[in-house]
Amino acid sequence: MDNSGNPFLPDIGTVGKVIHEAPNIKSLQVVLNDQHRMQSFRFEPGQVAQLSIFGVGEATFVINSPPTRMEYLQFSIMRAGEVTERLHQLKEADPVGVRGPLGNWFPYEEMKGKDIYFIGGGIGMAPLRTLLLFMLDNREDYGNITLLYGARSPQDLCYKEELKDWEGRDDMELILTVDREFPDWDRRVGLVPNVLKELAPSPEGKVAVTCGPPIMIRFTLQALDGLGFKDDQVITTLERRMKCGIGLCGRCNIGTKYVCTDGPVFSLAQLKELPPEL
Amino acid sequence: MAILDKLKDGVQRELEGLEFVIGWEQGYDPLHASPLFIRTPGDIDRLIWNPLCVHNLASYLPSLKGRRVGILLKGCDSRSVIQLLQEGLIKREEIVIFGIPCRGVVDLSKIKSRIDTSQMRAVSLMDDAVVIEIPQGREEIPLDDVLATKCLSCQYPTPLIYDHLAGEVLPPQRPTEVLYKEVEVIEELDVQDRLAHWERELDRCIRCYACRNACPLCVCQDYCAAESRNPRWLSQRAGVSEKVMWHIMHALHLAGRCTDCGECERACPMDIPIQRIRRKINKEIKELFGYEAGVNPEDTPPLYTFKVEEPTIQEREW
Amino acid sequence: MVSREARFLATDNIPALLRRLGNTYRVFAPVKVSDTIVLFQEFAESAGLALDEQTTLPPKELLFPQTEGLVSYRYRKDAEDLEKSEVQVEETLEAPPTIIFGVRPCDARGLTVFDAVFTDGQWRDPYYKARREATTIVTVLCTQPESTCFCTSVGGSPTGIEGSDIILTIVTGGYVAEPVTEKGETLLQDEAFTPAGDKAGEAGEAREKVSVERELELDGIAEQLLDIFGTDFWEQVTAKCISCAACTYVCPTCFCFTITDDTTGIEGSRIRTWDSCMFYLYTLEASGHNPRPTKTERYRNRIGHKFSYHPTSYEGMFGCSGCGRCIKVCPASLDIRQVLREAKAHG
Repeated sequence: MDNSGNPFLPDIGTVGKVIHEAPNIKSLQVVLNDQHRMQSFRFEPGQVAQLSIFGVGEATFVINSPPTRMEYLQFSIMRAGEVTERLHQLKEADPVGVRGPLGNWFPYEEMKGKDIYFIGGGIGMAPLRTLLLFMLDNREDYGNITLLYGARSPQDLCYKEELKDWEGRDDMELILTVDREFPDWDRRVGLVPNVLKELAPSPEGKVAVTCGPPIMIRFTLQALDGLGFKDDQVITTLERRMKCGIGLCGRCNIGTKYVCTDGPVFSLAQLKELPPEL
Repeated sequence: MAILDKLKDGVQRELEGLEFVIGWEQGYDPLHASPLFIRTPGDIDRLIWNPLCVHNLASYLPSLKGRRVGILLKGCDSRSVIQLLQEGLIKREEIVIFGIPCRGVVDLSKIKSRIDTSQMRAVSLMDDAVVIEIPQGREEIPLDDVLATKCLSCQYPTPLIYDHLAGEVLPPQRPTEVLYKEVEVIEELDVQDRLAHWERELDRCIRCYACRNACPLCVCQDYCAAESRNPRWLSQRAGVSEKVMWHIMHALHLAGRCTDCGECERACPMDIPIQRIRRKINKEIKELFGYEAGVNPEDTPPLYTFKVEEPTIQEREW
Repeated sequence: MVSREARFLATDNIPALLRRLGNTYRVFAPVKVSDTIVLFQEFAESAGLALDEQTTLPPKELLFPQTEGLVSYRYRKDAEDLEKSEVQVEETLEAPPTIIFGVRPCDARGLTVFDAVFTDGQWRDPYYKARREATTIVTVLCTQPESTCFCTSVGGSPTGIEGSDIILTIVTGGYVAEPVTEKGETLLQDEAFTPAGDKAGEAGEAREKVSVERELELDGIAEQLLDIFGTDFWEQVTAKCISCAACTYVCPTCFCFTITDDTTGIEGSRIRTWDSCMFYLYTLEASGHNPRPTKTERYRNRIGHKFSYHPTSYEGMFGCSGCGRCIKVCPASLDIRQVLREAKAHG
């Protein structure tokens, strides 16, 4: 989103496909009605947008389709509050407001040549999906790519079609885990941070990118620290209640940083420089 | 021994078993007192007691539930404590109450409406007058002229609940009639004029909710219907109809609970006489149910209970 | 200051001036609306002016209204297929030409905090920007500080010009008017302004005489507030705060807001409303998590924002103009100056 127009004025988009990812998570594929706007819509992996239901309000979501695939913008929405409840009711051809792109993005340039270790939990897979697809579309720029993805149960795993695809690829490794035993589940069982400790990836030449529920992030960061990952080798994304999305309304700050404009992507090194108010 | 000495003495003796004792200290200028949290014996010297100690310290209690604290209370403030006890919002055994027989506290807005205090130099408090020194000279105001309206008809100068009383029990000395005087003036207006009156007064409300947050009995403030998003009861617009609606909502939620402490009006940065709305409802509650909030810890507020027949309510002329 | 010719404005000429300006502009000036409340209101001769005391609220409301529509929307059903609907969205921006007469230097300077964030920052706020450009600020310099004034402690001055378009200095029989900006210069063309003559010298002397004691030494406060972030200082200092938020609503520099949708039937308006960092709901997330769950974290953020984060992000500019209103309206008489003094001394 550039600064020439009115940053509060949403574009109007139309919902295309609606994907039921998990019991409380849906993905919406949205195309902006103005063809020119859709064609000129530029964003970076990790950037977010505000989706609007006019009459209800706005909420912030990562654009989880990669900028390398611009047929539509995809958002994954976990039902949690008033706006997400209404977003879940949207069906194909319904109008929806889109305000974005907003925020910063994954430092994919600096990550070139490195091995990438994705660690995702539940809906936290959304921002990782963007970056993973982007890297797969620019595969030669990166070293080994590993995705460790966990959820409470098999049905809580998002992006099931893609998981099959990623499973079959020989240029990345996929490790799935769920919190406890389930019938017909033949993958790993255990919480993401524990599985990470068992896998014990060496920090050598790696960047870890993690996103998930706060408690998972907390223990994952501890596990990574235990494995010898340095703070600048760990990247995560933050969530905060947001309204304006452009650093004006005040609520999403942590010290001098606004999660909406300076984030949502932070390295652990950057986070440690902020006042402890997560 | 003077009241203040007795208070200091009592606090000194009890402090060790308490996290802190809440009292008052001198504020940023001679006209303002400010709540004091006494944590160490050294803090006790800062304690003051005089008619500028206007704050109802009971407002702090609901958020301190689970902690052992001491608190200084005037008669009127003690009614908030009783009401909070009735509603189970605080626990008696967690609180040590230092009661103060009180002859009244000032309403700073009344002083400020009489003289410009912005460059005031000194204040002396006499038994029956406040003397304020301003650059233009010395202004002596009779205390009764600037006492809070609630004090002019006070029936509870001595706290109704306490562990220690700093002084002798003080019998009520004020006439009851004046309490509803301002309310009656408004009641006499016809409906249109009454609405116009309140629209005029409430138009300057900035919806800051200080009235709510200062109220010792507005205990759901973090989940207040004024801002709840789902369901949405009230638009966030700042039109006079939303303002009127907010104040009606606030007052009705206090029906049978409001003890007329006046913190709402005192906190209002726009000096809107909102206590009158509550007083009107208190008056109705008294007429309907013969009930006065915050007087007896064993009472149940009338709107917390249900009787098939209310002796004072004539339904459909039955 | 642009050094242009000073003009004289006789007190008697003010009503006529404001009346004339009212033909082209919305004209606001301080009016006493009750014994204790002075507010900026649209000028009406009958109301009289209250130029000699601080207004209860700063003029912020006129540039950043307590509520304003951002966009309007309207749903339309498809006549062919009732399952289908479309929505039309339009910007709603109003910025009529406005004059605010009788602003104080601290409040004019408060607008420069807004300017830094809303017009000169990474993202521009078109609503504030349009109104700021359409508004002329006529400031009356202070003569007598109130006991709550501390503008000089935060870099301001009772005779400061920042944020103003015209400054007025009180002299015998009226005011000496000096333009600060082109906008101000334009206004001084009105016939109410006459050559200042000797009055210019009198104004200069008058300004010399005014002083507000600089009672706070805030060097290093930005770093100090971060250093004591995790200490029990904040719990102690906020014990008496009742989290009522009146301080933020009367503040000339507080700009936090919320956005809500207000619908009637098939149409409505997305509105922006003042919000407060002192409220629990301000940061409450849909998940139930709240990064600033109690008054202690919230007050710490308020002080941190004004005296650490803002100056760090905006070249040392405090998010405070020292007007003292937060001290005046605080039901607990919590004094921000004292908090800063204690913060500096802590640890």
